[in-house]
Amino acid sequence: MPSLKDIKTQINSVGSTKKITSAMKMVAASKLRRSQEKAEAARPYSSRLEEMLSSLASSAASGEGIIKLLTGTGNDQNYIVVPVSADRGLCGGFNSSINRETFKLVKSLEGSGKIVQLMPVGKKSRDFFNRVMKHQIIESFVDLNVSSTGYESALNISNKLQELYFDGKFDKCILVFNKFKSAISQEVTQQQLIPLDVSNSEKEEEKENSSNAIYDYEPDEETILKDLLPKNVSIQIFKVLLESDAGEQGARMAAMDNATRNAGEMIDSLTLKYNRTRQAFITKELIEIISGAESI
Amino acid sequence: MATISFDLVSPENLVFNDEVGTIIVPGKDGDLGILPGHSKVMSSLRPGRVMVYNEDKSLIKSFFVSGGFAEINPEKCIVLAESVVEVNSLEKTSIENEIQELENKEGKETEEQLSVAKAKLEAINVNYYDKI
Repeated sequence: MPSLKDIKTQINSVGSTKKITSAMKMVAASKLRRSQEKAEAARPYSSRLEEMLSSLASSAASGEGIIKLLTGTGNDQNYIVVPVSADRGLCGGFNSSINRETFKLVKSLEGSGKIVQLMPVGKKSRDFFNRVMKHQIIESFVDLNVSSTGYESALNISNKLQELYFDGKFDKCILVFNKFKSAISQEVTQQQLIPLDVSNSEKEEEKENSSNAIYDYEPDEETILKDLLPKNVSIQIFKVLLESDAGEQGARMAAMDNATRNAGEMIDSLTLKYNRTRQAFITKELIEIISGAESI
Repeated sequence: MATISFDLVSPENLVFNDEVGTIIVPGKDGDLGILPGHSKVMSSLRPGRVMVYNEDKSLIKSFFVSGGFAEINPEKCIVLAESVVEVNSLEKTSIENEIQELENKEGKETEEQLSVAKAKLEAINVNYYDKI
C-alpha cells in the first residue's frame, strides 16, 4: 500500500500536468481563432482565382510549356505525394492520420506499378517518412509558420514543385492534408494539384449561368492563363497550409481539453484514495491507542 | 453619378472593398481606367500603381501591386494582386538599398525582384495620376 506521501506527490504531479494541458488548450484556442481568420481572409482570393481559371480553362487547347499545369504531361507514371502535417505533436491523431493516409496512398500507387516520390511538409511527416521511406523523399519543408510568414512559405513549395514538374520529374502531384471542418473535427483529404483538376462540374454550371457573357482578354487568353496557372498552384498550396494550420490548432485544442479532463478525473480518484488511506491510518492509530489503554 | 464596386484582394486578405467612382489599374499592355459600366475585360497586371478615386474624381487611395489580375464587368472590378502595399507606406531609402543589393546579384528571380523594386521606386516618384 502506498504511503500518504506517495499519493500526495502523485496528486501534485498530475495537478501540474493538468495546469500545462489547460494552458496549452487556451493557447491553441486563441491560435485557432487567428488561424481561422487567416484562412477566411484568404478565401476571397482563391475563390476568385478559381472562378477566373474555370472561365479560362475551357478555352485552353493542349500545348507546351506552362499550359501543361492544366493539361498534364500525358503520362501518369511518376507521382509526387505531398503530405502536409504539423511541426509539433500533442494534437491527438492529427499527424498520425496524415501519415497513415499518405502511407496507404503510396502503397496503393506502388501496387499499381507507379513510381512515387514524397515531399513532406511539416516536421512530423518528415520524421515519419524519414524512418519508413527515406529513399523516396526528394525534398522536405519544415518550420513554415504559415500564420506568421504568410504567402511566402507557400511560394517556396510551389516554386520547387513547378521546377520539378517542368524538369519532367513527375506527372501528377497529390496533396494529403487535414481539411478544417470545424474547431473539433478535421478530415483527411487528398487533392490533385498538378495537373489541375477542373472537374468541379456543378460549380462550373453555376458559373456559366451567372457569367455567360464573353470577356475581352488583355493581352490575350493564353498569356493570362500562363500567368494564372502558376499562381493558382501557389494559392492552392497556401490555402491548404492555412487549413492545415487551423486544423492543427483545433486538434490540439480538442486533445488538450481531453487531457485536462482526464487529469481532473485522475486527481479526483487520487484524492479519494488519499482520504481513504488517511482515514485508515487514523483508525489504525486509534485502535492501537485504545488497545494499549485497555491492557493497562 | 454611378459607382462601381471595387475589390482589391491579396492572398492574405481583402485589402479594399467599397463603391468607388474610378479606378486606374496597371494592365500588362498599358494602364486601364475603369469607370462604372465598363465592358467585360480580364487583364493581367504589371507591377505598378492601382489608383482609386471617388465619384468627384478625388484620389481616395493608391496602392502598389507587384502584378496580378483584374476582372472587370459593368458593376464590379476585382483586382487580384500578389502583394499589395499602400504607396504612402513605401520607403524610398529602403527600396533604393534593395535595388542596389539586387543589382549585384544575378539570376532569373533576382531580375524579377529588381523589376518590381524599380517599379516601386517609380510609384513613389511619379504623380501623374494624382489628379484626373
